[in-house]
Amino acid sequence: MAETLTSGKLTIRVVICLAVLVVVMCLCAVVGTQEISLKKVFAGPGQKPGENIDYEIFVGVRLPRVILAALVGAALACSGVILQAILRNPLADPYILGISSGAGLGAITAVIFGITWNFWGGSPMAVFAFAGALGTVWLVWFIGRFTGKSQVTSLLLAGVVINAFLSAVIMFLTSIAKSDQLRLTIYWLMGNITEKSLSVLGVSAACILAGIFALFCISHRLNVLTLGEEEAKGLGVDTTKTRAAAFGLAAFITAVAVKLSGLVGFVGLIIPHGVRLIFGPDHRQLLPVSGIIGGIFLVIADTLARTVFGQEQLPVGVITAIAGGPFFLFLLAKYSRKVSWLK
Amino acid sequence: MSIIKVENLSFGYRSKEEILKEISFEVTSGTFLAIAGPNGAGKTTLLNLLCGLLSAKAGSINIDTTPIETYSVKELAQKIAVVRQEFIPVFDFTVVQVVSMARTPYLGTFGFESQTDKKFINEALEMTDTARFSSRPLAELSGGERQRVFIARALAQNTPILLLDEPTAFLDLKHQVDIYDLLKTMQQEKGKTIVAVTHDINLGAQYADVALLLGADSSYQHGYAAEVFSAEQIERVFGVRGFTGRIDREKFFIPLGKFAKDSSQIGRKPDSSA
Repeated sequence: MAETLTSGKLTIRVVICLAVLVVVMCLCAVVGTQEISLKKVFAGPGQKPGENIDYEIFVGVRLPRVILAALVGAALACSGVILQAILRNPLADPYILGISSGAGLGAITAVIFGITWNFWGGSPMAVFAFAGALGTVWLVWFIGRFTGKSQVTSLLLAGVVINAFLSAVIMFLTSIAKSDQLRLTIYWLMGNITEKSLSVLGVSAACILAGIFALFCISHRLNVLTLGEEEAKGLGVDTTKTRAAAFGLAAFITAVAVKLSGLVGFVGLIIPHGVRLIFGPDHRQLLPVSGIIGGIFLVIADTLARTVFGQEQLPVGVITAIAGGPFFLFLLAKYSRKVSWLK
Repeated sequence: MSIIKVENLSFGYRSKEEILKEISFEVTSGTFLAIAGPNGAGKTTLLNLLCGLLSAKAGSINIDTTPIETYSVKELAQKIAVVRQEFIPVFDFTVVQVVSMARTPYLGTFGFESQTDKKFINEALEMTDTARFSSRPLAELSGGERQRVFIARALAQNTPILLLDEPTAFLDLKHQVDIYDLLKTMQQEKGKTIVAVTHDINLGAQYADVALLLGADSSYQHGYAAEVFSAEQIERVFGVRGFTGRIDREKFFIPLGKFAKDSSQIGRKPDSSA
């Protein structure tokens, strides 16, 4: 990308990506174990319920699920972009750094201890997930401050340890849980997208989109922040405020995504990296485009998860981890620089 | 008119040790100040105080007759641009992207550059001769080219004051001279006030109008560059003996160590060598 980014160019690219997202979502909504025809879907709901089953499957089951996958993908990809910018580490990802586990631990605590009280209308699961995510973000940042600028791997190591610790706590909690909760909880931990009610979908969509929009408004400051604290201050960026806002918002959208779908890994790593390779590192573009591509990626991954084995559905986290694990290792080798044969 | 006014400035990283002790000096608008001194004398510390990154323990700094602490981060970035040692950013930003970041303190809500912003960016690229590789990532440039990019960024920031921290460290001779030529041009054509921390006394003496020599014992000398960078001062502050010479109006100083091949040169004064 030689030229400078203008709002016009960005709008065109975002609209094109959105169009691709919509097409992919429609295609994936048609694909499934139960075959449906688009022609019948477009015929409308019919006079009485149950008359047009194809329409009801498409609108009532497939479409919400596809929208859910797109939202989760967008949130995780954007969260990855933000974490990479603030930690100045191209290998950061909400899953790898244990932030997803933090949110998961929060959510699972609420479920297993049967906490039902409400905060300002938010369900306890969402509030606990957010608290867990925020706590882990703080912990990661705190460790990151000690590990210095160039230590790409030490921060990741800290993330792995946090992740392992939180996972152990989660496993402990699931092992003392009642058996009827068990299978669902384990599936959720592996990253599982299921059909959700429209109201849940609406609230989550509003939260995630608002979070991404707010992040977009500070994305030009994130560009400067990736040069380091001193440089950013010299260029007029209040680093403390910007960092706090970015961390808070990233934790927020991660928490919403985790509450919806459990621990889906590596989306925040693969997508921003791919987008950066093609479109360059300018966050004003990287953030929205990564969000949309992240949505596309997870919609496809979820479609695979629910169709590959016929009636038996796989957790989508299994698909993303199988794709993401090797990719992560490749990047680790590339950025560690010590491995010369990959450079 | 003095654009920077430092009065009785003291600073230490620990409560009892003071690196800088009661320093006072003024920088006249449109002049070139070189700050020199041995390692640990507090050159970079002083620079960080001047750009608001550190705050003084005692004394005051006024920028444009206003105390530095009353500026917001954004306002200060419209007064002072800082160039540190060149580095490769973590992400693959291109030259034009890095230079564009200079406009951050002027951008609106969504952070897109206006036509005015673009004018400043292009001017800075032209003036520093970085326009020809403006679409290349910084990692692909040489150290000298990269430093020009950071100077271009400082130029695009359109500030009256420019602070530089050892801008020519790790650069070869030609690039060192190029950078100083560029700074002098900016001073003379754009009327910028330039404050540069430097280890190179010879280039400092050649280009700077005024000099501040910081000693490791918290002493300091401030005055015309030609007077401050005298053989006696340098030998006293740096604790190294050397040979001082003069070619026309340019003075130079060559340090001579224990194993110098002709130790009879030590202590020769510029006058006697003429």
